[in-house]
Amino acid sequence: MNGLFSYYERDSFLHRRNPSLKLLCVLVFMLSVVMAFDPWTPLAFFVVGLVVQLFLGRVPLRGTARPLLFFFILGALGFIGSNALFYNPPPGEAVTVLWSSGVLRITAEGLRVGISLTMRIVAIVIFSILFVTTTDPTDFVLSLIQNAHFPFRLGYGILVAYRFLPLWRTELGIIRSAHRIRGVGERTTLRGRWNQLRRYAVPLLASAIRKSERVAIAMDSKAFGALPQRTYYRKQTVTWADWGMLVGALMVTSLILLTLARFGLLRGYGVIPAD
Amino acid sequence: MALIEVQGLSVRYPRASQQALHDLSFGVERGETLLILGPSGSGKSTIGLCLAGLIPNSVPAGMEGRIGMAGRDASEMTVGERSAAIAMVFQDPDAQFCMLTVEDEVAFGLENLAVPVEVMESRIMQALALVGLDDRRHERVDRLSGGQKQRLALACVLAREPSILFLDEPTSNLAPATRHSFFQLLRTLRRERPELTLIIIEHVLDDLIEIVDRILVLTPAGQLLTIGAPSEVFDLRDQELDQLGIWLPQVTALGRKLRLAGVPVERLPLTVEGAVGVFEPLLAHRSLVPGEGGKPRVPMVGPAFGKELSAISVRDLSFRYGSGPEVLTRVSLDVPTASFFALVGPNGSGKTTLASHFVEILRPPIGSVHVLGDDITQLTTAQITDRVGYVFQNPEHQFVEQRVEEELAYSLRLRRRPLDEIEATVDRFLDIFGLAPYRKLNPFSLSQGQKRRLSVATMLALGQSILVLDEPTFGQDRNTAKALMERLNALHRDGVTVFVITHDMQLVADYAQQVAVLVEGEIRFIGPTSMFFANQALLHEASLQSLPLHDLAREMGIAYADGTLPMSLRDWYPFFGVEAASLPEDVQPLGEEAT
Repeated sequence: MNGLFSYYERDSFLHRRNPSLKLLCVLVFMLSVVMAFDPWTPLAFFVVGLVVQLFLGRVPLRGTARPLLFFFILGALGFIGSNALFYNPPPGEAVTVLWSSGVLRITAEGLRVGISLTMRIVAIVIFSILFVTTTDPTDFVLSLIQNAHFPFRLGYGILVAYRFLPLWRTELGIIRSAHRIRGVGERTTLRGRWNQLRRYAVPLLASAIRKSERVAIAMDSKAFGALPQRTYYRKQTVTWADWGMLVGALMVTSLILLTLARFGLLRGYGVIPAD
Repeated sequence: MALIEVQGLSVRYPRASQQALHDLSFGVERGETLLILGPSGSGKSTIGLCLAGLIPNSVPAGMEGRIGMAGRDASEMTVGERSAAIAMVFQDPDAQFCMLTVEDEVAFGLENLAVPVEVMESRIMQALALVGLDDRRHERVDRLSGGQKQRLALACVLAREPSILFLDEPTSNLAPATRHSFFQLLRTLRRERPELTLIIIEHVLDDLIEIVDRILVLTPAGQLLTIGAPSEVFDLRDQELDQLGIWLPQVTALGRKLRLAGVPVERLPLTVEGAVGVFEPLLAHRSLVPGEGGKPRVPMVGPAFGKELSAISVRDLSFRYGSGPEVLTRVSLDVPTASFFALVGPNGSGKTTLASHFVEILRPPIGSVHVLGDDITQLTTAQITDRVGYVFQNPEHQFVEQRVEEELAYSLRLRRRPLDEIEATVDRFLDIFGLAPYRKLNPFSLSQGQKRRLSVATMLALGQSILVLDEPTFGQDRNTAKALMERLNALHRDGVTVFVITHDMQLVADYAQQVAVLVEGEIRFIGPTSMFFANQALLHEASLQSLPLHDLAREMGIAYADGTLPMSLRDWYPFFGVEAASLPEDVQPLGEEAT
C-alpha cells in the first residue's frame, strides 16, 4: 500500500531480472543477516542493499526512507530499549553497566544485542523493499509458475486476490461513512469494537463472497484450467545475466562474511559463539 | 439446422424451492442476434450458464434437457471445446478480470485455450482495436473507467474468436452515454462479424432493439412465454410484457399507451425513425401551451433563490482528495426546500463527492455548506442526521442490525425516543414501504428492491425533511424502480426535499423539477428540467443522453409554445388529443414486484 510496498515502475538492471532468481538472491541475503548475531553483519548487508537499490534498481531513496525510518524507530524503541534495560546475561557472564538508577540499568551487552536486532530488521526490510519495488507482481507470479513450478491455479488465485485488495479498502471506507451517518459512533470499548468489527465485516464479506463467485465463474467461462496445457504470452526467461546476479550475490555475501570473520566481528552462524 | 438447439431445458439450484428454468425449448440460428427478456429471477442468466457449460460443471445445479451446438450434443463436448465456442461478458465490470493490465487480461483467455504465442500478439491487437482500446494496451485494468472495462471484457472474448457471444446485462453498470456507445460498438461488431451469433440480456432497449433479430421472453417461473421478431413480440404480447415489468423501448411504450387510450395506433413502433411514420397521421396538435391539458409542470420554487430558506445551500465549495487534482471547483448550488432536485453528470464528475458534503462524510470549509439555513460545520452529527437522510448507492453498506424492524428502530433507539413512539414509527414505515411481511428477516436476505426500500425507510425514520439518494434506481427492474420513485414522489408531495444523483434520464424527465449538471467538478447548468433537456449541447458535453421521446419530438416537430419539449409519456397524450387524466396509473402496488 501507499508506496511502501508497491512496484515502482522503471527500467533498471534489477527490474529486468528474473523474479524467481531475484527472490532467491534476496533470500540468500536475508538468511545471511538472520544467522548473524553481531551488529556488523546486518549493517554491512544494509549498506549493500542500499547501494544495490540506488544503483542497480534505480529506485530513489525518497520512497523508501520513510518505511526504513519507521522500522528503525520501532526497532530502536522496542529492541534497543528493552534489551539495554532488561538484558539478562547468561549465567557467569559479567556485564558492563553504563548507567543505572534504582532498578533500571543500561548494560553495554544489552545495548549491543538491541542494536544488532534492530539492524537485522532494517536490513531485512531493505531487501524486501528492494524486491517489491523492482518486481512487477504479475511477472513475479508468472515467473514462480513458469520457472519455479509453482501450481498455476494457486498463482492466478493470488493475482486475483491482489487485484481485489484496493477495491476492498475503498469499500471499507464507504461502509464506515455509511455507518457514521446511521449514527454509529466509532467505539472505544472492547465490546463496542467487537460489535463494530462485526458490523463492518458482514457487508464486506457479503460483497467479497459475491465478487469472488463472479470472478470464479468468469474465469471458468474463459476455460481457465480446462485444458491440460496452457501457453504463456509473457514468457519469463532465465538469462545469463540472471545467473550472473545470483553468482554476484553469493560472492558479495561470502566476501562480507569472510571479511567480518577475519576481523573477529562475526558472531552467530551456529559455530562462532555469540560471545 | 440451427446453431444452438435447446430442448426441454430445466434447471434447479440446490435448496431452491422452484426451478430456475422450466422445460425450455428454443433454437438460435448462426449469425442471429437474440435478446432475452424477463423479470429478475426468471432464469435469464441461467440460460447463459447452461449454454457455456458452466452449469453443471462450475455452478452446482441440477440440469435436465438437451443442448445441441452446431449439430453436436453439448454434453459430449469437452469444457475446452465448449468455452472456445461460446464466450461470455458479464454485468459487473470489476468481477470478470483476473490480471492487472489490459494486454495480460486479453492474453489470459487465449493462454487458457493454449493458443500459440506467435498468433496471440495479432489477435490481441485486433480485438483491442475493434473495441477502441488499442492505445490502452499497457494500462492497468483498475485505471479504466466502467465503460472501458466493459469494452475490455468484450475484447477479451472477441480475441478468442468464439462462434457465440453471450452478453449478460453488459451495460447495467454504465452511464447512459457510455451505454449508448457500447451498443454502437455492438452494431459495428454486427457489421464486421456477420457470422457471430449474439445472445444478449438487457433491460434498456432503446439503442439496442435495432440490431435484435428475435426476442425470447421468460415468465417469472422460468418458462418460455414467447419467442419471435421484436415487432411481433411487442405488438402482440405487450400486455403480458407490461405485467412482467419489462421495460419497453420508450416509443413502443408511447404507442402502447396511446392505443390503450383509444388512439388507433396501427403497429407499435420500435425505433424513433419508425415511430415518426406511425404517429405522424395520428397527431392532433403540433404545438401546445405547457400545462394545457397535460400534466401541469410544477413551477420552480421561484426567482427568490437565496432569499427563501434553501434546504441545502452550497457556496464556492472546492475539494480535492489529499494532494490529488481538484474534484470540485467553486461549486455553488441551492436546493430549494420541498423540491425534487436531480444532480447529473458523467461518471467521475464529482457528484457523490459533492453530496458527501451534505452529511459531513467530507467536511466542508466553514461557511460553504448550509443545511436549512445553518452552517453544517456548526451542527453536531446527530443534528445533521436529524435533518438529512443519505441513501448510499449500495444499500447493504448502511445496514447495522440483524432484523428489518431493528434496522428501522436503530436511529430512534440511539436517540432514546419513547418505546411506544419507536414501535409506532417502525410499524408505519414497514407499512409505507411494503416491508411488513419481512420485518423479522435479516436485511441481507432481502431482494435488491426491498433492500433499497429499507435503506430509504431507515433514512426517513427520524422524520428527516431532506433525503439525498445516490443512484436510487441502479440495477433494478422497471416495477421495482417505478415503485420506489413513486414512493419518493409521494414523500416529495408531502414536503420532503428529495435530492437524487442519477444517470437515469427518464427518471429526471418524469420526476425532477430542477436539474444541476456537474462536469469535471464544475456546475455547468442549474435550471428547470425542461430547459435542461432543451439544451442539446449541454447533454452532449455532460455525456448524457437525450431522451428517445425528445428525439421523436424533434423529428416530428412537436413542441410546447415556449419551445420546450414534452418529456414523460403523460406529456405526450394531449398532442394526440387524449386527456392525460383519463389514463390509469400503471404503478404496481409495493411489495409485489418479482424478487
